[in-house]
Amino acid sequence: MKFLDWAIVVAYLAYVIWDGIRMTKHSGDVEGYFLANRSLPWWAVGLSVMATQLSAITLVGTTGQAYSDGMRFIQFYYGLPLAMIILCITAVPFFYRAKVYTAYEYLEKRFDAKTRSLTSFFFLVSRALGVGVIIAAPSVILSIVLGWSEIVTIFVIGLSTTVYTMIGGVQAVTWTDVKQMVIIFFGLFVCLFVIVSQFPAEVSLFDGLHLAGSTERLTTIDTSFDLKERYTIWSGLIGGLFLFLAYFGCDQSQVQRFLTAKSVSEGRTSLLMSAFLKIPMQFMILLVGVLVFVFYQFVTPPMIFNAVEKAKVEQTAQYQTLNSQYEAAHARREQSALEYVKNKTEETRGSYIESNKLFNDARKNATEYVKASSGNKSFNDVNYVFPTFVVENMPMGVIGLIIAAIFAAAMSSISAELNALATATTIDFYRRHFKKDGTDKEYVRFGRIATFFWGLFACVVAIYATNLGSLIEVVNKFGSFFYGSLLGVFVLAFVVKRARARGAFFGLLFGIASVWIASFYTDIEFLWFNVIGCLVTVAAGYLISLTVIGEDNAIVH
Amino acid sequence: MKSEDIKPIEEVEELPDSWWYRVYLGVIITTILVISALWAFSRYFSS
Repeated sequence: MKFLDWAIVVAYLAYVIWDGIRMTKHSGDVEGYFLANRSLPWWAVGLSVMATQLSAITLVGTTGQAYSDGMRFIQFYYGLPLAMIILCITAVPFFYRAKVYTAYEYLEKRFDAKTRSLTSFFFLVSRALGVGVIIAAPSVILSIVLGWSEIVTIFVIGLSTTVYTMIGGVQAVTWTDVKQMVIIFFGLFVCLFVIVSQFPAEVSLFDGLHLAGSTERLTTIDTSFDLKERYTIWSGLIGGLFLFLAYFGCDQSQVQRFLTAKSVSEGRTSLLMSAFLKIPMQFMILLVGVLVFVFYQFVTPPMIFNAVEKAKVEQTAQYQTLNSQYEAAHARREQSALEYVKNKTEETRGSYIESNKLFNDARKNATEYVKASSGNKSFNDVNYVFPTFVVENMPMGVIGLIIAAIFAAAMSSISAELNALATATTIDFYRRHFKKDGTDKEYVRFGRIATFFWGLFACVVAIYATNLGSLIEVVNKFGSFFYGSLLGVFVLAFVVKRARARGAFFGLLFGIASVWIASFYTDIEFLWFNVIGCLVTVAAGYLISLTVIGEDNAIVH
Repeated sequence: MKSEDIKPIEEVEELPDSWWYRVYLGVIITTILVISALWAFSRYFSS
């Protein structure tokens, strides 16, 4: 990184922290601190919804995944628009008109305090661990760029975000999200343009896409129905639908976004922004990863992208041998790629596919060697692909811009989630169980302390999360353990009139138990956990409710 | 905070349901078109 890159990153960090802190003046009372007095316009809320979901993992993990596996991951988002429509019809008006601060508060109005506390507790556990993983991703990048230890970078990112979130509350979160989204989009466009401009003169974008397509990296629809296959159109449409219903409708970090809108209509519009923009945006991010793959057809990519692991083994004789084989495989693939670009026939295509396979085998051998020599069987350097590419190949200034964009993506998610964790802790536990008659000042002060606590907790989790393979899958997989069952409770609340508090409470426990059993005793892929958890919770909740006679719940919708 | 301290939500004119149904239909049609375009993109460059 040159001086200009540093200047861009430091300017971004200074601006965003200042911008967040200056929102303190709007955050003196509980409704202002946690819900912005329900006064925000739809476009700001909509951008905040997207920024909260688009974490640094999305940039780092997804681009790395596209480099190694292609665009199949996009199918994960196919169920999102339908989920948004369902939430616009159900969750948005229900939560908004119930005048709640948290989604779980609604469950007390519908069922009882026990169900509210249990769901809020599961949210706190799953989200607090999830935000730790979200902090880990950009820390991986900085540790490469700066040569710092991952622990130092984790605390720099986590605590700087904690500071402005703690002071400025939800206003700070939303308005910084808006600016962060602008930086992210700008960074992505510049990145795409620069990668393509670095292709060899005889290789066009069109040719590059043909190369990527030949290796099945542009697959956007897989119609096979296999529960063991991670990304298919069915897992996206059905499993993804359930996951997004749960994430946007039951996860406080998203529910809190649309509760800050001026009205039900503005809340709905903010969610529909994602319905329209999410798939194209995700396509653009995956395209960056695919184009990095094309770029590396003509420039030798590192055999191991994780510089720390590479340094441990690169002096050994076996590594040198593997590296020679790898470079020879790359030279052959480059030659085949150029021949295919010049002359697109079945023969040149077949030759390119074959040489790409040999190259993949050479890299796989190196990865296996690192696994064996380090003793780390889960070693996976997919998260290091994009940052390594940026630092080694991007021009001065662009490196700083992309690092700032990755920071923006990370901070926008972390801030919203810390704010949501603090809100649930304050409203669902502190105010509900410990201090029912407190003043606004006391609740806001407690909210700030809770934000600081969760920020610190997430940093500690992040330290352990950096070695967990593809980070985006870690987050989604972990969320899937809880999300489906939480969704099941809200389905019982919104749709099943016969549902009772006892049914909802035990249905939730049954749902989570079923997901744990499915994860340990079957090979079913994690997107389906959302479906299993939801269906078991609803079925068990309904059946248990049938055994309840005479209990009359408050129906608030 | 006491319940009476909660500020009343300002009455805002909401858009009618019929308008929203048209919007939802637009979202579904757009999604189908986007997924179809992605499929065509994939097919074109993979063959």
